[in-house]
Amino acid sequence: MAALYGEVSWFCCGNSWGPCGTVGKGACGTCNSGSRQHAWPNTSAACLTITRPDRCGETLARRTCGHVHTTTNRCTGKAIATSIADCGPQTDLFCGERTCCGSVCGSNRVIDLTPSAYSAIGSLSTGLLPAMIT
Amino acid sequence: MPTTIAALAPLLIGGVLLWSGSLKLFGRHAAAEARRTALAGLVGEARVVPAYRILGGLELLIAVALIAPPPLWIDLAAGAALSAGFIAYLGYAALAAPASSCGCMGSRPSRISWRAFARAGTMLLASAAALLWAPSIAWYTELSGEPVLFTAVLAAEALLVAGLSPEFDHRWLLPLRRLHNRLTHPLSGGGFEIPLDSTVTQLIRSGVYRHTAAALRSDVTEHWDEGEWRFLVYSARYENRPATAVYAVPRLRYAPDDVRVAMVDEEEGTTLLTMDTPPPEDSRPEWVLTNPLPEHVRTA
Amino acid sequence: MDRRKLLTSAVLGGAAGLVGATALGSLSPEDVFAAEGANAKINPGDPDPNFVEGRITGITDTVLFVTSSDGSLHSIRVTNGTSIWKLNPTTFDEVKVGDGLYARGLRLADGTLAADSLWVNIVNLNAHVDSIGRGSLNLDHHGQRVVAHVENGRSAAVYNNTPAVSDMSMLEAGKHVKVIGAWHPDTNEITISTVYAAV
Repeated sequence: MAALYGEVSWFCCGNSWGPCGTVGKGACGTCNSGSRQHAWPNTSAACLTITRPDRCGETLARRTCGHVHTTTNRCTGKAIATSIADCGPQTDLFCGERTCCGSVCGSNRVIDLTPSAYSAIGSLSTGLLPAMIT
Repeated sequence: MPTTIAALAPLLIGGVLLWSGSLKLFGRHAAAEARRTALAGLVGEARVVPAYRILGGLELLIAVALIAPPPLWIDLAAGAALSAGFIAYLGYAALAAPASSCGCMGSRPSRISWRAFARAGTMLLASAAALLWAPSIAWYTELSGEPVLFTAVLAAEALLVAGLSPEFDHRWLLPLRRLHNRLTHPLSGGGFEIPLDSTVTQLIRSGVYRHTAAALRSDVTEHWDEGEWRFLVYSARYENRPATAVYAVPRLRYAPDDVRVAMVDEEEGTTLLTMDTPPPEDSRPEWVLTNPLPEHVRTA
Repeated sequence: MDRRKLLTSAVLGGAAGLVGATALGSLSPEDVFAAEGANAKINPGDPDPNFVEGRITGITDTVLFVTSSDGSLHSIRVTNGTSIWKLNPTTFDEVKVGDGLYARGLRLADGTLAADSLWVNIVNLNAHVDSIGRGSLNLDHHGQRVVAHVENGRSAAVYNNTPAVSDMSMLEAGKHVKVIGAWHPDTNEITISTVYAAV
């Protein structure tokens, strides 16, 4: 797949503590905050009707549970390979949002990593990073 | 009065069912809304859209039977059964899939709350009242008899149903809340302190950060203010040894180009690197795209 | 204080000699080298050995004992180079039993995680603003009500592409927000660190 540019964020899943406790194991039934996994906005037709990346002009390929993407933090070049475990993020809620790092910017939330995956390429306290996804 | 209230129940219930049935059958986002409901758990993912549409058709059928003459008790019984069934469905959904949409009336998703139960309960009560007190009185006869009272009661009931419908909140509750916030400013008065996150976002937008962030190993370990600067300290690894990265960021102005950094080996007591302007970007569109990745870039 | 002075002069010019601060100790380069080698290859989808999620069940001088959501037990070693986030960067004595945490570091040979970063009670919620009260937002998070408190001087807002500011007055009821915040353990309340909103 050609490289996709956008914003990466993180989300918790599995039976974790706090408000995360109600989120569950995700659309694939395998999601855990401690595993190298991610959520993808087009895991199924039903998923796409919720996330609607098309409303932000993003055309994302259909990729199902277990598919591996590599997300590169464009601030640092740190990269991580993760597998799909959930549907998300809801891209259309923040169409046009931009996150920058120096002169490098990413627009639209196109991928959500688990805390374990996100913290390998950035700080959880930042919440959003410009990213390249392959 | 009780007879009037009871007699207009078919019109009220019919109107609500006409609205919700049309949206389920003909709504532009009906298929998407169907998938968000808890119906999927009952009938399966593959059958959820047809089931949702069949339910819409049933609602329309009962709506027409309730509104059109002649008035029959069986129509009211069907309305009551539908309301009771809906309460049972809401109970199931609240337990089995609390995050799902109610799938009630609008094209907008609305979560299952006490209001959904109260609305379905109102429908059930109205059907039961009509069955008890006015099973064969036509609403149009009542309307011609007492038009003002009838219209007033119907309007009040319609307002009650709308008030219990989260699908209509954006029409009245939200504007009211926004107006209230505009008048009272509940989040104002924040003082003049600069939150640390403001400084961190400024740092991240600086070229100096982008050229040194690959060496960082931690989040902010320490920070302090001095004059016009705010200092942010990170643990780092530079030239294969532990280091401390100290960034100086303008505190009271937004000037990412003024950010500077020093990498310090605290054990040895030496400064390994200082940078107050980032190296110029080279002509390549994206340095992280180079293959293989540069040596200093750590691949997780 | 001296250390800060020295670090300040290092970054602003005129660096003097520096002396290491070792209140919590540090890792030897050999430890780091051995751990990095052992953890080089982790498959996508697998649990990450260099990461711990869970709740703190015990604390000693420099070690946190954590029970993960899957029931596994972990010990996390904190050094003077470890960053500790709890709404803001903070110190080890602010970490309490009962707090939730995410920790990233290096898994040492004895099974201990030598932490680079700890994020205590951190949450990242995508939620709908139901209403705004005095100094707080009432959020709908997957159907659950969450009260998000604003702490003056600490909470920041990012509107679209703007830098983070302390002004929260542009937040509106009925809109979606993303909130990085600190959870108040065993409640449905959080304190906002950064709220991202589209305006």
